[in-house]
Amino acid sequence: MIAALPVFGYSVLVAWWLPVLLTPLTRNGAGARLGIAAWITAMASVLSSAAVAAAFLIRSAINGWSGLAEAVCRSVAGGACTPVIYRSALYELGLGIAAILVTLTVIVLVCRYGRRIQQAQRQTRAHAEAARITGRSVPPDSSGMVVVESSRLAAYCVPGRPSTIVVTTGALSVLEPAQLTAVLAHERAHLAGRHHVLVALTRGLAAIFPAVPLFKRGQSEIARLAEMRADDAAARRAGRRPLIEALLAMGTGSAVRSAVPVPAAALAAAGYAVVARVQRLMDPPTRSRQARFTLALSGLMTVLPAVSGLIFVLAAGS
Amino acid sequence: MRGFGDLEAVIMHLVWDHGSPVTVRELFEELRQERAIAYTTVMSTMDNLHRKGWLDRVKEGKAYRYAATASREEYSARLMREALVGGGDTEAVLNHFVAEMDGDESEVLRAVVRRLAETEQRGQSG
Repeated sequence: MIAALPVFGYSVLVAWWLPVLLTPLTRNGAGARLGIAAWITAMASVLSSAAVAAAFLIRSAINGWSGLAEAVCRSVAGGACTPVIYRSALYELGLGIAAILVTLTVIVLVCRYGRRIQQAQRQTRAHAEAARITGRSVPPDSSGMVVVESSRLAAYCVPGRPSTIVVTTGALSVLEPAQLTAVLAHERAHLAGRHHVLVALTRGLAAIFPAVPLFKRGQSEIARLAEMRADDAAARRAGRRPLIEALLAMGTGSAVRSAVPVPAAALAAAGYAVVARVQRLMDPPTRSRQARFTLALSGLMTVLPAVSGLIFVLAAGS
Repeated sequence: MRGFGDLEAVIMHLVWDHGSPVTVRELFEELRQERAIAYTTVMSTMDNLHRKGWLDRVKEGKAYRYAATASREEYSARLMREALVGGGDTEAVLNHFVAEMDGDESEVLRAVVRRLAETEQRGQSG
């Protein structure tokens, strides 16, 4: 009972306060990959220590209930309290119910999570199939691109076997060939990096624990960082300039002929996701800035697993 | 011929292009001109499409006549609704190049494009 409390306290502390610390560290995507790793580490640390706390609780309920029952019984009834009373069926029942409740909660949460992930997978597969049948595949370069007839602007990838990249005719009408190459490189980077797995797992967590800031914040931050990772890969493969142009064209809905990357501190309003991505591509974080963020994130990623490890060792030892 | 899934797409597009309900035999004759394919393959693929809800069929004599349950445009519109209405009833994991944005963000981006064009013009004249 005593051991469960600090362990659970640690989970709660990390789950509620870490986002405050982690968000500014990963916000600008100085080290997008490390940023993703840091959020995942924090989530894993919280989940594992919460699991240990639950296990502690169940075990001490089983082991220590009779002692507690005796204490409560004596404080109420004094000398009239005999083992016959506090070891009665009623107390045994109480003990059973407490352990069962905690166990059930854990099982329900795990099942709900599994179901969500499964459902997401099923709907993703159905969407991929619908896209492949409805759209026209573009065979020559076997890029896995499918063109869907629609005036709406969209370009996205659907993971699966095979993975599909959907581009609407509306999007094609505003993208120059080099810009389309950048869009495809961005989507291919998502698929190659298996970002959909990250998105699905963290979205599921955020859905079953809507009140926990770490999961809610972590989910949206990981999605942002995944975009930045894919941007970096696309910029390397297809060039920074066509990528910026593609972002602007898809964002404004009209063709962008040229956008010279300028160190544009003037862009200001970076509260917007796409604006922030454009700004980051035009004015990438400096090396020393990156080094600072790397150091801070690495520190966090050493401390969190260390604490979780310590909790496991203590749990195993007690 | 590529995968089985591709054949489904090819057949649906043929049915859509056809307009009126069509038999397996008719489609098979069309397909045979461009690829080596067995009648039974076409038949089982169309049966699959019917089972999955893409095709309706009506018995006519010994054979079925197949028609698309919805037009290509309707399917495209449905697909886009599913892809673009974020957080709606679909849980599908789609990674958009640019997430759907509100008018404000578009406006900010338009201003960025204008500013960049001006910067470039200045660069060329100066």
